[in-house]
Amino acid sequence: MVRRRFLGRENDVASSDARLRLAGTGETADAVDLSGLLGRVARGDEAAFAAIYDALGASVYGLARRVVRDPSRAEEISQEVFIQIWQSAVRFDPQRGSAKSWVLTLAHRRAVDAVRHDQAATNRENKYDWSNGPDFDEVEEAVTINLEHEQVRRCLDGLTALQREAVNLAYYQGYTYAEVADALEANPATIKTRMRDGIVRLRDCMGVEA
Amino acid sequence: MTTTDLHSLIAPFALDALDPDERSRFAAHLDQCVTCQAELAGFQATASRLGDAETLTPPDGLRDRLLSEISQTKQERPVIALAQRSALRRTLPRLAMAAAFLVGTVGVGGYAVEHQNAGAEQDRNAAITRVLSSADAETVAKSIPTGGNVRMVMSASKDSAVIFANDLPSPGDGKVYQVWMIDDSGPTDQGTFVEDGDMVMDGITKADRIAVTVEPEGGSERPTTPPVATIPV
Repeated sequence: MVRRRFLGRENDVASSDARLRLAGTGETADAVDLSGLLGRVARGDEAAFAAIYDALGASVYGLARRVVRDPSRAEEISQEVFIQIWQSAVRFDPQRGSAKSWVLTLAHRRAVDAVRHDQAATNRENKYDWSNGPDFDEVEEAVTINLEHEQVRRCLDGLTALQREAVNLAYYQGYTYAEVADALEANPATIKTRMRDGIVRLRDCMGVEA
Repeated sequence: MTTTDLHSLIAPFALDALDPDERSRFAAHLDQCVTCQAELAGFQATASRLGDAETLTPPDGLRDRLLSEISQTKQERPVIALAQRSALRRTLPRLAMAAAFLVGTVGVGGYAVEHQNAGAEQDRNAAITRVLSSADAETVAKSIPTGGNVRMVMSASKDSAVIFANDLPSPGDGKVYQVWMIDDSGPTDQGTFVEDGDMVMDGITKADRIAVTVEPEGGSERPTTPPVATIPV
């Protein structure tokens, strides 16, 4: 991975942003009515689209970076995701989840599809971080660590090793459950079950309304 | 695949850990399974929290680029309007709406190609407009909950149909979606696409149904996988 220049400066930004977020208890995004904004986007409101980008751009790009790693590929994916949001905002159904969840689901699927598509050109074996946490580069480059990050970490720590690895490989590395089974030398049926147990535990730990 | 098997796919689906084939199969099941939908909502919200743990400021310029791109990008119309559309009389406004619908279904892939193939696009659009504007045009829509949909507009008087596939999940590395027209003699190939596509099919009145399958790049001579969508004619 190519190191960014001005790492020191970015780190300063990172820590001050992190403090800002902590001070605001991460409610900045909730204060914006994303669901209402998406409704306006669906009717062609470009200002609402800009507001959606401002609220979720860093989440989408951060997720894409986490999954595909390559910055330019992540940028490409972010661009596609936001164009898709513009085109398909009409399909967002508030009954079936929050606006943020809808957007991140779109982003994740695109990132995973991209990583699978690029699979042949990438040796993921060498890139997988088995330590269950951001690697050195990511720590340096992470601009904002959300308050939620700590909670996510804590909840991931509460999983069994197999549950955690199954969730990590699938969500952050784009593995199918069959590939996870292969990598962990486990039975695919077992992996499906572990994913389910893992996600149920995470859901309860994070206090997500079922 | 039994229902129990399908239910075991809710968590892998929420984590995007299914291959395209299983993803489509699960998505089809999801349509009819209220329990799955309820559980999936919680799982997807949980997965989103995993994805949102680290945010990263996007590169400079992306915002401006997006804002200028969307100002030239058509949006999808509410699906409910499609149903109302078939009840409308064929008047000039209807033609305008058909054209808007047509442009609206050009997805991200189509958008990129649009600039390069303006001429070919025009010819195809003309063929599509002929079907859309016919007096007896009927629309059948089939949504795929993984995020895409397949719509078909057919006209018996023109003996043609147009099928629009919009933003289907990626068929997978080295795979494409292939459209088949199925009649008494079996399936005939109508062409392939990836994620987004539209194609004009002649001889629709003799067909029994239209099916879409996932096939290796280049397409197959006969369908080799179960269809991800079937539309009766």
